[in-house]
Amino acid sequence: MAMNSVVETDFPETFVEEMEKLQEALPRRIDANPKNVEKGLAKLVLTLVELIRKLLEKQAMRRIEAGSLSDEQIERVGETLMKLEAKMHELKEVFGLKDEELNINLGPLGDLM
Amino acid sequence: MKLYLYGIIDSSSMIRESICGLEGSCVYNIPYCDIGVVVSEINQPIQSVSEHVVLEHEAVAEKLMEKFTVLPFRLLTILDGRENVLSMMDDYYGDFRDNLDGLRGKVEFGIKVVWPADKVKRRIINTYRTKNRNAHLSDDSAERRFVREKFEEHKIARAFREKANGYIHAMDVFLGKFATAKKLETLRTENLLLSAAYLVTKDNQDNFREAFEHIRTARKDLKYLFSGPWPPYHFVTLRRKSQPLRNAGQTAIFDKVILQPTLVGADKTWQ
Amino acid sequence: MDNITAKSKDVTLLEVLDRVLDKGVIIAGDIVISVADVDLIYLGLRVLLSSVETMERIRGAPFPSPMQEAT
Repeated sequence: MAMNSVVETDFPETFVEEMEKLQEALPRRIDANPKNVEKGLAKLVLTLVELIRKLLEKQAMRRIEAGSLSDEQIERVGETLMKLEAKMHELKEVFGLKDEELNINLGPLGDLM
Repeated sequence: MKLYLYGIIDSSSMIRESICGLEGSCVYNIPYCDIGVVVSEINQPIQSVSEHVVLEHEAVAEKLMEKFTVLPFRLLTILDGRENVLSMMDDYYGDFRDNLDGLRGKVEFGIKVVWPADKVKRRIINTYRTKNRNAHLSDDSAERRFVREKFEEHKIARAFREKANGYIHAMDVFLGKFATAKKLETLRTENLLLSAAYLVTKDNQDNFREAFEHIRTARKDLKYLFSGPWPPYHFVTLRRKSQPLRNAGQTAIFDKVILQPTLVGADKTWQ
Repeated sequence: MDNITAKSKDVTLLEVLDRVLDKGVIIAGDIVISVADVDLIYLGLRVLLSSVETMERIRGAPFPSPMQEAT
């Protein structure tokens, strides 16, 4: 038996490409294989750290936009954000994780970041 | 006896037509008060979830949609025995009844729109840089430069999202006119501007289609996907909270789901 | 099968998956025997296509394509 619904588009390749990207953002099962456990945990921890880092950045940007920071404060914020970003970069390298791997799909809530 | 569930229909009668489900088995209606749950029996464990299974599942839901109002089940909902099916109906009857009433005579259409995210961003960046041409001071510290760059990223990201919302709103003005409900998702990927489900009454199908054609021709620089009519997957809302799934005591109907090595690990068995 | 037809099949499957994987009536509880909620999300296009290939190899014969029966 076949379905009746039609899926119409002049660009099937484009939509396949985009929709396959959605599949890639899926949560990976935490593998009980000991070799991968460490990496799985690192991924989880770094995802959360990255989330906090991004929130801090956003917060800083909002305050700069609102003009509520002095020049000196902006300088200090810059220094902190630079160091955080550099540290994250280092950690990602140590654990061999890419940016795309650090995200969590919350099902109906969408992606964490 | 394992029962595979396809949908809830607003009828407690027998299904007159012969509909084939998974494994070629006959699909039938188990009545419950004034509604029913449509099932088929599965004898062998489903070895792997193939394209075949997915499309068969969908085909059954759509066949039901021809004659009934149907609440389609999610893929692979399998219960052990008629008792459990009836027990499930005990729990969800009110929810099912309400949903059936609300969805009678309505179908779902899907619209997805792709836009050139890179081009949009480049245009935004150019506009921003032109406006802020004099903001650069060559004797700035590394920290200030960093902040300035981050700030630019932040503004661009926001402008990007606002642009997306503008486009979507413009489209929704036309599409929403002929829909009784909608679910819109913006920027599921950078290029996937819109991923939408619209609930449309059967009478309004043609109007809705016309509205879509209008926006398709109005903005030729975007790419469109139109699908349907679907059973109302996006518009089933169950009030009753699902209990968390407990693995203890569940029969493993799936002996093995074969996955690509990159996903979990070759030949891993599902628990 | 030319590339456009293949891609059209893929996009149809992806559209169906986008719905049946985590929309519709979702019930949970002890009485439900199926792949666990979380596990269902793993069943993406690539997984399915690879499953079909593996199954076809095991069976020694290809599955009939439902798409071919559609008018």
